[in-house]
Amino acid sequence: MLFQAGKKVFRNPAYVLGALVVSLAVFALAVLLPNSGLIGIVASSPDIPLSQKLGIPLSLLGSIITNFTILSALSTIAIAMLFGINVALVVYFLRRKIGEVKQMGITNGFLGITSGIVGIGCAACGSLLLTSVLSLFGASSILAFLPLAGGEFSILAVILLVISTHTIAKQIQQPGTCNV
Amino acid sequence: METDNKPKLAVALDKYSTPVSVLVGAIIIALALTYSGGTLPQQGVAANPGQPQPDAAAVQKQLENIAPVTAEDHVRGNPDAPVVIVEYSDTECPFCKRFHPTMLQVMNEYGADGKVAWVYRHFPLDQLHKKARTEAVALECAGDQGGDDAFWKYTDRLYEVTPSNDGLEASQLPKIAGEVGLDVAAFNTCLTSGKFDAHVEADAKNASATGGSGTPWSVIIGKNGKKYPLSGAQPYESVKQLVDLALQGK
Repeated sequence: MLFQAGKKVFRNPAYVLGALVVSLAVFALAVLLPNSGLIGIVASSPDIPLSQKLGIPLSLLGSIITNFTILSALSTIAIAMLFGINVALVVYFLRRKIGEVKQMGITNGFLGITSGIVGIGCAACGSLLLTSVLSLFGASSILAFLPLAGGEFSILAVILLVISTHTIAKQIQQPGTCNV
Repeated sequence: METDNKPKLAVALDKYSTPVSVLVGAIIIALALTYSGGTLPQQGVAANPGQPQPDAAAVQKQLENIAPVTAEDHVRGNPDAPVVIVEYSDTECPFCKRFHPTMLQVMNEYGADGKVAWVYRHFPLDQLHKKARTEAVALECAGDQGGDDAFWKYTDRLYEVTPSNDGLEASQLPKIAGEVGLDVAAFNTCLTSGKFDAHVEADAKNASATGGSGTPWSVIIGKNGKKYPLSGAQPYESVKQLVDLALQGK
């Protein structure tokens, strides 16, 4: 199921490229966020040449080895890859859905598309936004009570993304008809 | 209708289970992205990744809160070096242990000819590492007895032997003192005296005041006074690039 849906979506190189870009963006976000202040200072300084402005964030990506445990490094890479695949599948599914909506002559198809996102269970969508909101709820204080100090979330996230990807693949494989 | 016979709870579950499960999933993935980084968060302070990120000007303003280097600090290398790296560290943090050899490498390359000085300050994360504060005091007691030389010898040895995450037995502290040539009895007296409690607390408070929310937290100060924050056990290449920038006065 997943393999067939993947074959269908990723035979178009644009989806491969899209998945790759999203995966790299998520990976960079997870690795560079702790040093966003430094990156901001370096990027906004007029005295620093472009080569150093690019070189510093690139070298910071190496912290996946020095600043992560093996578990968190592996799960971060897995989350980034699954995230990219997940988003590519969602985009493919939504484009097909938009096509169907247009074909049916429904002009305000926004609700249909939105419910499509929710209906197919795209847990990845929106989680990036939530990342910046979490601190408002003091989420870091719970880490002290977790045996893996937050690694539990990574394991759960990988499982959820696999389920989410499987669910979308299932939807893609279903013919675009109403079942009786 | 079919739903007429269903209990209200089942109807509600039918209606809301998908969006609620998606929302819960999204929260879990966001938590995973937020806390996948190695830098350990401080008690009562949200980890950097989860906080709304301040802009560059706000970050620089916070860095200006850094306490000036005084005789109470422990300096490795040339005290008048054009570049100073102030590291706020927790002896039981595994990433601080990992970052210690990186800093030694920096000092090997830049310290020998007096270009960089390394200032060590304490940032024990009490909620995560209950032993870290006592160990910070132990470092100070070593320095009290044998000056900066003893302080650094003790610090290097402690980072070498600790398994991190509160894995170091308390009995190791006087043992290390003996190994680096200190008077163990005097060291033990100092350890329980409370003499350096305020010093350690002041360091930790200053770390937070400069924007530190996890360990290791470093501030690289250039020859023109410009400051660069560095969070976590970053690779040597990153530290080197920042030191070069600071040396160029950029």
